[in-house]
Amino acid sequence: MRLLSWKRASQQAIPQAFAFEDLALPLASSLYNIAHWLTRNPAEAEDLVQETYLKALRGFSAFEPGTNFKAWIFRILRNTYLTSRSGLAAMRTVALDDELSGNGESSPQLYPEAAIDRQTPESNLLFLCDRTALENAMQLLPAPLLEVILLCDVEEMKYKEIASVLDIPIGTVMSRIARARAAMRRTLQNYPIYTPEFRA
Amino acid sequence: MTDHLPFATLNSLADGELSPEQLAGVQQHLAQCSACTTSALHQSLLKSAIAKAGQRYAAPQHLVDRLELYRHVAQRHDVIPKAGLLSGLFARSQSKAVSQNKAIYGWAAAAAILVVLLSSVFIQRRLNETASLLAQQASLVAEVTDQHIATLASSQPLAVLSSDKHTVKPWFQGKLPFSFNLPEDLPADTRLQGANLTYLRNQPVAQLLYSVGKHRVSVFVEQTPDGRDSSKFSANSSGFHLMTATTDGLQLEAISDVDPARLSQLLDIIQRAQTATASASR
Repeated sequence: MRLLSWKRASQQAIPQAFAFEDLALPLASSLYNIAHWLTRNPAEAEDLVQETYLKALRGFSAFEPGTNFKAWIFRILRNTYLTSRSGLAAMRTVALDDELSGNGESSPQLYPEAAIDRQTPESNLLFLCDRTALENAMQLLPAPLLEVILLCDVEEMKYKEIASVLDIPIGTVMSRIARARAAMRRTLQNYPIYTPEFRA
Repeated sequence: MTDHLPFATLNSLADGELSPEQLAGVQQHLAQCSACTTSALHQSLLKSAIAKAGQRYAAPQHLVDRLELYRHVAQRHDVIPKAGLLSGLFARSQSKAVSQNKAIYGWAAAAAILVVLLSSVFIQRRLNETASLLAQQASLVAEVTDQHIATLASSQPLAVLSSDKHTVKPWFQGKLPFSFNLPEDLPADTRLQGANLTYLRNQPVAQLLYSVGKHRVSVFVEQTPDGRDSSKFSANSSGFHLMTATTDGLQLEAISDVDPARLSQLLDIIQRAQTATASASR
């Protein structure tokens, strides 16, 4: 039998006796954070989280204890977001035309190698300390790149988990992560405070 | 060294996605390539910076409370509530709360308007009824007063001139569509003088004429309008005092310029005579 990807055995096994609230409530802040990033609206984020909780609560009987609850509920959140007004608008306005084939094996030559500055100047390290610049750069990311970078860097999910949450191949996850970071880097390098004139 | 690590490998390194074998190979390369080491360091710094900046929004306490409320509802009822039900039970968010509030305000306004309309209709009906009743009373007072004055002023004798109730009462047989009783005992200085057949409200009524001292008292006995007890009232008109009483399908109107207390006393006696008759007949 082929298990769904999020049903793989979690590294920290969840006791079967755990109730929904024990699993879900600690994730409330993470869910809200992602929801707020995606919807860019606090009220919509609350709606999204609540809708996610309700769906998860109703479908909790179908959840197999011991599997990855975090990936499961984040997938519900993401699917709920996709059907929301802001989600439909965000996904409709963004076209990712260069997705990689999703066989789990990345093809190095397809990644935007030119996007990375191998001669990283010190100034490039400075902007990483500028939280406002980082947040602004993240806000400029299109939704498909933003969600993958949030799941990867903020929620520290593995590529497999991200793939299961977003229902995309692992190769696509890797591609989007690469593109998201490249886009972040470009945005940060062009951030006003680091213009060549200022640096000079 | 001309071949640098691919971008995907640097990402996987930062994300901890390399297998032990891949990691060993990468570490070997990094030990010899400063450019890739710098790039790997930058990737790791970018990742950690994004991780910190990405944790930007904290769930508001009211949202957490609401989520816990869901849990309590689900636990209490041992059921998984439907989304629609819960959304109806609890305010969901500011935007939906606003729309729900608007709906509530709309319904409240509609209900308030309905209440005001119903109240105004009810009040209007009550005012109309009151005005109609007052008009009827005013008309009755005018008629009774005119009849009493006409009787006092008339040079014609009464239709039945007798102080004997057994003469007066039978005289009305066949003349009135109802019967009434006359009291046996009257107050001191009060005497039945006779009776007339007259009309009030276009209906035949008995006009009993009493003397209380030097004063004349007219007592009109009629059927209660529409077969129902009409309201009891008293009024003053042209110097006369008018009182009404109802009893067992009959309405009595007494008018005189005598002391109201004595007029009331006579009216009570006549009223009790009707009731006694009705009780005796049962």
